[in-house]
Amino acid sequence: MDRISVTQKNIPPHLGCKNLSVWFPEQVDATLQNVTLSIAKGEKVLFLGPSGCGKSTLLSVLSGLIPKHIDADVKGTVYGAEQCGVMFQDPDTQFCMLRVDEEIAFSLENRAIPRQRMDDLIHEVKETVGLDIPGHTMIQSLSGGMKQRLALACLLALEPDALFFDEPTAQLDPAGQQEVFQCLHDYSVKSDKTFIFIEHRLDGLIEWMDKVFLFDASGSLVAAGNPKDILTTYESAIDKAGIWKPQLFPATWNDVVAQEHHPISLRLTQAVHHCAHNAPSTPGPTPLFEVTDLELGYGDSPIMREISFTIEQGEWVTIIGKNGSGKSTLLKALARLTKGKAEHLTFMGKELNRWSEKQLYERLGFVFQNPEWQFVTQTVYDEIAFAGKLRDWPAAKLKKTTERLLKTFHLEQVANQHPFTLSQGQKRRLSVATMLLLDQQALLLDEPTFGQDARTTAELMKKLKERKQRGTAIIMVTHDMNSVSYYAERVLLLAGGHLQFNGRPHDLFSNTHLCAQYDIIPPLGYPLIQARKTRADNQEEQGGNRAHDSHEFSFSTH
Amino acid sequence: MTPMNSALAHINPSLKLSTHLVIMILLMMTSDPRTTCLLWLLAVSTGIVFGGWRLHYLVKRLLPYLLFFVLTFWMLAAFGKGETLLWQWGWFHITQEGIQHGLTIAMRMYAFVTYSLLFTSTTDVSEFIMSLIHQCHLSPKWAYGLLAGLRFVPLFQSELQQMKAAHKIRGFQRKNWREAFIRYTLPLLTQGIRRAERVAIAMEARGFTGSKTRTYYATPQIKKKDYSYSAILLLFTLIIQLLSWQLHWLTWSWQ
Repeated sequence: MDRISVTQKNIPPHLGCKNLSVWFPEQVDATLQNVTLSIAKGEKVLFLGPSGCGKSTLLSVLSGLIPKHIDADVKGTVYGAEQCGVMFQDPDTQFCMLRVDEEIAFSLENRAIPRQRMDDLIHEVKETVGLDIPGHTMIQSLSGGMKQRLALACLLALEPDALFFDEPTAQLDPAGQQEVFQCLHDYSVKSDKTFIFIEHRLDGLIEWMDKVFLFDASGSLVAAGNPKDILTTYESAIDKAGIWKPQLFPATWNDVVAQEHHPISLRLTQAVHHCAHNAPSTPGPTPLFEVTDLELGYGDSPIMREISFTIEQGEWVTIIGKNGSGKSTLLKALARLTKGKAEHLTFMGKELNRWSEKQLYERLGFVFQNPEWQFVTQTVYDEIAFAGKLRDWPAAKLKKTTERLLKTFHLEQVANQHPFTLSQGQKRRLSVATMLLLDQQALLLDEPTFGQDARTTAELMKKLKERKQRGTAIIMVTHDMNSVSYYAERVLLLAGGHLQFNGRPHDLFSNTHLCAQYDIIPPLGYPLIQARKTRADNQEEQGGNRAHDSHEFSFSTH
Repeated sequence: MTPMNSALAHINPSLKLSTHLVIMILLMMTSDPRTTCLLWLLAVSTGIVFGGWRLHYLVKRLLPYLLFFVLTFWMLAAFGKGETLLWQWGWFHITQEGIQHGLTIAMRMYAFVTYSLLFTSTTDVSEFIMSLIHQCHLSPKWAYGLLAGLRFVPLFQSELQQMKAAHKIRGFQRKNWREAFIRYTLPLLTQGIRRAERVAIAMEARGFTGSKTRTYYATPQIKKKDYSYSAILLLFTLIIQLLSWQLHWLTWSWQ
């Protein structure tokens, strides 16, 4: 026994590091502190930790990007792989060519592969990742999921020993996320390459990981082990750090379906119950928005037509639909940021076009996807106070309201900083806070929780809920069905240029036919109840002959 | 037939561009409206015969410049200097030389636009850049960098629009153009730099070094048909110049 462990110690690991610390220029504290870990060949591992804990830095060190391409001081020993491939989170900034084949060829060109071998190799990697499209397709016309498939094909063309994934699905919608995880899983089964992941949302990924490395906020390695142990032993630490937890894992779908008193089962069915009893708002005398036969789009081909709905004062409405279905365009039309054709749009009983700009935006706030776009001043304090100053509020009132908002959104500590220097979560909170100074009647938000961690998301939703209770209507575009089912009183589904559904979230999610038709992945509680029903029916029919639920839900668990 | 799959789209981009540049230099040297007009007509007919231009395309692309044409002409004709006075009223001082000069400049500008359009409407960007590497010996470091950067131009446009909308909602009124410039460029630039950094890292992570020791997927070459295009176009240019010289139209800019 002793001899074996000694030999193991002398052989350098396939991938890993010993006493590794990393400093970025102009930063006092080390981003990573004294990290020692080793990864065996062919292992599939996940780095888990709160945002800003340095897991991304570690990935860059192991893949050789630091210090070769990114400037940083590195102390300690690093065992890197010979040839690495890295997939990044933004599908748009990892390509440099315009067409699919050219992009894959770029990897081959860099390796100086002779031209005559390129066509076969390109064909081969495209087949491996399931990229069944003509080579001259423009990259910009691909969906997010397809772009990440292409990114994988480009990496495979490098013939790497190890593949690194830096949040590969962070910028995708749930359907795209599922597609990419499925594609990676399919490939991992037939490949002996090492996979190293950093990922935000774990459903569909954690199930096939061999090992999880858990980091704390200071950049130290807390624990390493199999996913099940880490998630159970360190559950409270993970919660505290604001990391998204998988919805099921380590429990399996079949367990949860079989055991009615399983804690996850109870939680999921409770969520469905909550959604089912979410009473709709009672219509007031004048609706907030009244939309009749709205047509939106450019030129002769409208992207949307015959859209009619009303939104009551103080209501919480979410707009859902696939990427490109026109959700954001509709939201912008409500704020008069895009002009519709033949528009019949009234806001608080008055035609939208007749409102003066100043009066309209006193009553209506809009939170953009990228918070930076809407910052106009030099400090956080001024940013919130801006609308009041513009309207010559008395100094005392302005100070009081601004300070109250700073406090509610936990921004007092950074009140004198420049908005651009804030963290992602703080920027998001600030962008919402700036829209609430005037006690707006309606707050329109374009995917406000996109790419945020669990803690920021929860905090933001809580703030919005408080606001709603004070009478502000919340109109939100989102992909997050859990938040739709938990908060929304009504959901508008856009597909194919039409409004396909306008009603209670519970009615939409209970309608399996409609969900399947429009690729909606309802909160897990709904398929759970469905599965139980089928199971009970089967048991009745076959007298206890236990029919197995297939694994079809193992990847549709977002 | 669209411009992008016309006969002209298959001509080597570098050679095409140099041929057009030669004609544009010649245009600058010619100071006679009739010759300039003939050279402009040459561009239009090349576009129609080889470039897959249709009437509605021409109208859509060239008509907007007509306003510039009229403005330039008017400015130079109405306020230009000259000996032979035709009409005078107030500040307007119309002379034969002025009209001649105005027509030349306006026509020249129009011909420039048309020759540029003849190139851009029939040239694929990546093919052009690859051709710059192979025919003009541009370093791969610059060429691939340029290609990566070009992809972001549409993104910049949509971001600027979003930002303008965001500022409108906030009620932000810019005081002057300088302030507006800083207000919009700062976030666009930071975003742009961040993006450029990410692209650079992604490219290097895939083994791009910028050196010339690499193979190429697409290697544009100059073939016989490319030379013929160049030769025919220049031949017609020569014929036009000779013709107008014969008719005593031709005057050079330095005359």
